[in-house]
Amino acid sequence: MKTHWTIVKKESAQMLRSQRGLLWLMAFSGLLSAFSLLLVSNTELSLLDNAQVVYMMAGTILVAGALLAAILGADAYAGEKERGTLVPLLCAPVGVNVLLTGKALGLLSAWGVMFVTATPYLWAVGASGQNLGAALFYLVLFGTPVVLGFGYLAMALSARTGTVLASLLGTVTVLMLAASPLLIGPGLRGTIIGHAMDAINPFAGALNTFDSVIIDSEPFTAQAGRLLLVAVWLGLCLLAARRSAAHPNFR
Amino acid sequence: MKIWGPFLSTIVVTALFASITAAAQTPLALELRPDEQNPSTPTMGDHLRFWSTITNTGATPIEGLVAWISLVEIDPGNEQPMDLEDWSAHKAISGVSLGPGQSLRTDWPMRLIKGGDYRVVVSVTGRGGRRVFTSPTIQFHVRQKPVLKTTRVLPVAAGVPLLIIGLMVLNKTRQRG
Repeated sequence: MKTHWTIVKKESAQMLRSQRGLLWLMAFSGLLSAFSLLLVSNTELSLLDNAQVVYMMAGTILVAGALLAAILGADAYAGEKERGTLVPLLCAPVGVNVLLTGKALGLLSAWGVMFVTATPYLWAVGASGQNLGAALFYLVLFGTPVVLGFGYLAMALSARTGTVLASLLGTVTVLMLAASPLLIGPGLRGTIIGHAMDAINPFAGALNTFDSVIIDSEPFTAQAGRLLLVAVWLGLCLLAARRSAAHPNFR
Repeated sequence: MKIWGPFLSTIVVTALFASITAAAQTPLALELRPDEQNPSTPTMGDHLRFWSTITNTGATPIEGLVAWISLVEIDPGNEQPMDLEDWSAHKAISGVSLGPGQSLRTDWPMRLIKGGDYRVVVSVTGRGGRRVFTSPTIQFHVRQKPVLKTTRVLPVAAGVPLLIIGLMVLNKTRQRG
């Protein structure tokens, strides 16, 4: 248990105590600030419905969270290897699962910091509209498994390939494909192919849930299928990470 | 022949008049009414609902009926048809068949996205005929509502990055110390 916490503390410190983590947070808040300022300064965008704005911002937060998970996940094993700390870590009396859980909890705490940073922005643009509470709740409920899934996927690739660049490239490619619904509107995804892609894409599942609960005020029961989709995504990525982490590439 | 002449011309005129009347008679009656629950002074973000009733007043069934709702902005200098993408998820019904005398009542909900003056109309056509029938229009005004408040957005947009910069400075100072 103590080993767990040591790893979690070390990984969590990356976000708030290291300049690198704070720089990421600065870039993230800068992005949300620019988005908010664009909304209030543009006469047409300023007339957008609050719920629509909150939905757009929730999608932006999710993609930024997944990107951070990809970066931290890619660094998890390959970064240790490149810094020459992987072999000593593997020789230490730390179980494979303990190491993986510690890294995942560190990633979760980074996502938590991002969520806390994003909350004032969501409040600023959505407080006078509908479903702000639901937006925050579903961002946690659906965003966490999606973000953690991308973290596990990056960890799996990181442990298997042993290079940060290869694992980052692989995860970001998957993320770009998965996040395409942010650019392709619901109208274009209204075809059979679009529905089929949405049915297997956890990112689209989370986005469609945000749309459903924030804009259309639909109940929790309508989200059960999508919740299952993101849970399956998390489960599959966890399995892949566990398999790769059991035999990391340290050569 | 003198007796038959006026008689024949009367028959021809009557037949012509009957055929013109039959051609002018529409096989569809179309009504459009606002819902009683609609707000009297709608504002951006409010929901409106309209009810259309399509009745087959002809003697033959109408197959493959398509009905759709259209919204037109009529603000001076900004007259344009609106894309209903954000306004309504229920923009058309299709494939319905209506027997003689049968009616179809449909509701058309919509969410008011933008302020201004608008006219709404429901159009109907069938698979067989070439005509498009339109309902009477309903006009309404949507009051504009400021959605994003600058007084709330600006402090957050400036304050959060400043807070993080403060953290970075504090972190750097600690590391040096």
